Amino acid sequence: MNLPASSSGTEPETKLVDRRLAKRFWIFIRPHQRLVWAGLGLLLSASLLSLAKPFLVMRAIDQHMVPGRMEGFYPLAGIFLAVAVLEFFLRRRQMYTVDLAGQKALLDLRVQLFRHLQRLSSSFYDRTPIGRLVGRVTTDVQALQELFSSGVVTILGDLFFLTATFGILLYLNWQLTLVCMVMAPFFLFTSIWIRNRVRGAYSRMRERISQLNTFLHEQISGMPLIQMFLQEEATEKSFRTINDDVRDSQLQTVWWESTLSAAMEMLGSFTLALILWYGGSRITGTDLSGEGASLTLGSLFAFINYMQKFFQPLNDLSMKYTVMQNATIAGRRIFDLLDQEDWIDQRQATDTLPEARGEIRFENVHFSYQHGDPVLQGVSFHVRPGEKVAVVGATGAGKTTLLKLLTRLYDVNQGRIVLDGQDVRHYPLENLRKRVGVVPQEVFLFEGDILSNIRLGKPEISEEAALQAASQMGLDSFVQRFPHGYREPVQERGKNLSSGERQLLAFARVMALAPQVLVLDEATANVDTQTEDLIQSALQALWHGRTALIIAHRLSTIQDADRILVLHQGKLVEEGNHRQLMARRGTYWRLHQLQFEGSL
Amino acid sequence: MDRLQEGETQELIQSGELAGLIWKSALGIVALAAGVAVVRTCSRILILGNSRRAVHDLRELLFDKLLKLAPSFYQRHQTGHLMSRAVNDVQNVQGLMGPVFMYLSETAALYAICLTSMLTLSPKLTAISLLPFPLFLVAARSLAGRIHQSSREAQERLGQLSAKVDESLSGQLIIKSLTLESFDRDLFIAHATELKDTHLKLTWLRATLMPLMVVLVSFSTFLTLIFGGPMVSGGALSLGDFVALVLYLQMVAGPTAALGFVLSSLQRGAAALARIREILETEVTLQDSSSSPERPVHSGALEVRELTVSYPSSSPTHGDPSPAEKRKRTVLDRISFKAPAGSFIGVVGPIGSGKTTLIRALARQLEIGTGQVFLDNEDLTQLPIREVRKAVGLVPQDNFLFSRSLAENVALGKPEASREAVVQAVEASQLAQDLPQLPKGLDTLLGERGVNLSGGQRQRTALARVMLLRPKLLLLDDTLSAVDTQTAEKILTALEPLMAGRTTVMVAHRLRHLQRADLILVLENGRLVETGKHEQLLASGGLYAALYAQQEQRAALKEDLQREDQP
Repeated sequence: MNLPASSSGTEPETKLVDRRLAKRFWIFIRPHQRLVWAGLGLLLSASLLSLAKPFLVMRAIDQHMVPGRMEGFYPLAGIFLAVAVLEFFLRRRQMYTVDLAGQKALLDLRVQLFRHLQRLSSSFYDRTPIGRLVGRVTTDVQALQELFSSGVVTILGDLFFLTATFGILLYLNWQLTLVCMVMAPFFLFTSIWIRNRVRGAYSRMRERISQLNTFLHEQISGMPLIQMFLQEEATEKSFRTINDDVRDSQLQTVWWESTLSAAMEMLGSFTLALILWYGGSRITGTDLSGEGASLTLGSLFAFINYMQKFFQPLNDLSMKYTVMQNATIAGRRIFDLLDQEDWIDQRQATDTLPEARGEIRFENVHFSYQHGDPVLQGVSFHVRPGEKVAVVGATGAGKTTLLKLLTRLYDVNQGRIVLDGQDVRHYPLENLRKRVGVVPQEVFLFEGDILSNIRLGKPEISEEAALQAASQMGLDSFVQRFPHGYREPVQERGKNLSSGERQLLAFARVMALAPQVLVLDEATANVDTQTEDLIQSALQALWHGRTALIIAHRLSTIQDADRILVLHQGKLVEEGNHRQLMARRGTYWRLHQLQFEGSL
Repeated sequence: MDRLQEGETQELIQSGELAGLIWKSALGIVALAAGVAVVRTCSRILILGNSRRAVHDLRELLFDKLLKLAPSFYQRHQTGHLMSRAVNDVQNVQGLMGPVFMYLSETAALYAICLTSMLTLSPKLTAISLLPFPLFLVAARSLAGRIHQSSREAQERLGQLSAKVDESLSGQLIIKSLTLESFDRDLFIAHATELKDTHLKLTWLRATLMPLMVVLVSFSTFLTLIFGGPMVSGGALSLGDFVALVLYLQMVAGPTAALGFVLSSLQRGAAALARIREILETEVTLQDSSSSPERPVHSGALEVRELTVSYPSSSPTHGDPSPAEKRKRTVLDRISFKAPAGSFIGVVGPIGSGKTTLIRALARQLEIGTGQVFLDNEDLTQLPIREVRKAVGLVPQDNFLFSRSLAENVALGKPEASREAVVQAVEASQLAQDLPQLPKGLDTLLGERGVNLSGGQRQRTALARVMLLRPKLLLLDDTLSAVDTQTAEKILTALEPLMAGRTTVMVAHRLRHLQRADLILVLENGRLVETGKHEQLLASGGLYAALYAQQEQRAALKEDLQREDQP
């Protein structure tokens, strides 16, 4: 391992960190560049100290030990020790400083990625597995950290180190140095040739590992089912196939990696042979060029030592190479994700915002999630301020889609939706969503306590307002049971709350937000009668004085609604209040006969 | 090779030999180097290759274990956390086994060669030069221990971050609708910052360890200088021997410096391995007892005797305020009933009364004691799990869909099922009515990369899965909760022929679904408060009657309204 790798080692290295990637990563480093420069400064100082050490030993040999002059020898040794100790502190500070910059940059990158993911449209999420996206924010950024810590600064430092060492070598003996450089083309050729082959093997390996991870994610998620249906063996078989593929592709990379590193080391040994052959002959006075002995024992020592140091930065290249490969690929994937511009188009947003009255108008709305599979086909209706409108229809009739379009989670394909007299596409997204308070079917709980789950970090909701809203929604009765009341931590996904309680909490959220328009997708799962009553009265309080658009699953909700829209296969087929619709004996009547019969 | 080079060097320098000898030795080095390269290539392919094979085996071991662990394990551990172990930790172990082992073995070989050469030159000076090693190794060991700790912490924090991202992305719809982006981002930033701080702590430790190994060799060189200097001037040691010795020392300097890096990788790998071992050593709580008779289950006759289930709950659930109860929460309290083969058992009760737990206990998804549940007159825990699962069909409340076609999802338990059988099951579960809405009907790809079915559609898919298998004991856990009444009625009608001759245990909220049950169990707070047929329970005027009255009241209200509607 003494003289491995090549003088050309930096060449593929710089290619590896492709320029585009480096440029983009630099954007994140720039705010912390003072740390980077400081780290680089420390690195250069430490390198200089490191280079001074063989020089000091050379002096000790040539000026003290060869002539046998011991005065000044111990101070020289003392300087050597001081240099070594100083180098330790500088290196430690340098590593920390560089990593501090890296960690700060990576935190920024993570936040930027997360922000980006938050902006991406819902249709993007319909297409992309979440598991893969999680990997971008966690593992891939982690891999990029390596690019930073063993990449950017180290490469700059190495370049300096190589140049400085080369200079010293020339200074010590330029002929010998030039003789050594005869080997350079061999290094260059071998490394480029092998690395071109490695590249393909690496990308194959990456693909297979990603395949393996996707497989694992799904099987772990569905494990209880696999067991219940006795599919362990079949699953294991599929896993083995993928796992074997991963191993085989890895073995291929191992083959190239090993060949490369050994070849580099062999060339390193050849260089050493050159030094000995050429340098040794000069010191013994049998120089081939006939110039006579020109090399001292100490400088030969220093030369060999510097030559080793010259190879030092490239020493563990085989280790670094893998890391850098991973980092580069991870970096590309991260920036590819950041390049995704699949978000809701906000270019039509204007600053003129109409007064919030709570008026909704759907005008000939067409929509499909997938091309050729229409969900809504020309839906038009009008909800006046303060009106309570229930939407009913069979599963898959497109009810939930209405709500998603109103809040612009998706954009209509045709037609338009007008809120308070303005096309929803002309609102800034945030303002639009502030006007419309959504209660989804499944309640999403955040880590934190019950109170923070009501306030949701909104500065405009004071603690008192949140507590009042909660109390109005009847949360007091069950929150009392917790030892910490409203400060009770919510367990993962709200395990410590029943589904009814979660519903009430979701009501309280919207109550506290006090939007002009309430949009509610009633939970279909049945709850016990007591909770049902609580929900009923909470709902009454919640929609009081607001415009409400509700996907109704409860009989009482329907009966209390001012108007009912009946959706059937993406079309609005009937409209009217409960009595009118019953009298028509149409779709609603049929639905009602069946859907609400026996429901709690 | 190294020995030869250095030996030659000092000899040549010392004696001033002939140019021919230099020629020969240089040629020797070249030949030797070529040979060594071949040996090294082979040894690396062997070591690195074996490390990949070992990691491959580790992955297989882990997955096999995951296949065996009981459902309760998956309730305790989030997918994100398990993934972080199966992916990140395995990756770190690979780093440990591959380059680190290679490095250690090659460094050991180099040390052996250099030390032997140094000893032949001067045992005394060699001993002196090695003086700092023990001291440094002790320091390195303690640092390595702390690095291990911090690595572990960092891996756990990464797991938490991954769980957070998973959660946020799963909830992206609601986060957008309520404009909670900045709120949720703050939660994310808190996690990411914690991860950053842990990493920096780790960096400081590693930044201490690595230069420490560099300075170690410098200390040795220093000692060799100040002790060797007088020895050379005193004639105890030749100058050539001295220079060669120092060169040998420098030769191990590189690998020793890298040892710091290797040690910290080693610790990271060890920490990861420890996390994987935790899973590998998790007890498989559901497994066949040694006395399991190798026989299939012939009938769905069920008997439950004093079934008691309690969860070791660290979670303070409302309803158990005392700390003693917090530790163990009794979910089912001495439940007993008998269900002859082919009977229909209904289960009702408020939320949290233990209905789902009962179903899961019957499906052998829970760790229950012996002598409590009997299937086909045999203790359930004594039957081979395979046979139990073959005999029992459970339709849970919520359901997972695999990234396969709908048909493949339905045929999960019977991949060899014919297309006709699948179509039949899909029709019986009333899923067929939704097929025209799906882009490719039965061949529509579902799951993460495919179409997302609605709650009701998922429930019906689950039902179709079980219908295809025709189990002896059918367990329905509020299977129709997300299905509208119209469809629910159709499903129940379609279920009837399936239920004939099979024991069925059905949890239901809509009491009228249970009117035909042979026996209805009424649960409240984990206790069986009433049993009987529909009429008996109504007559007894207990909880069931009250629940029924409430439902009827609403139904009556509705009928009143309907009557008004029809003037």
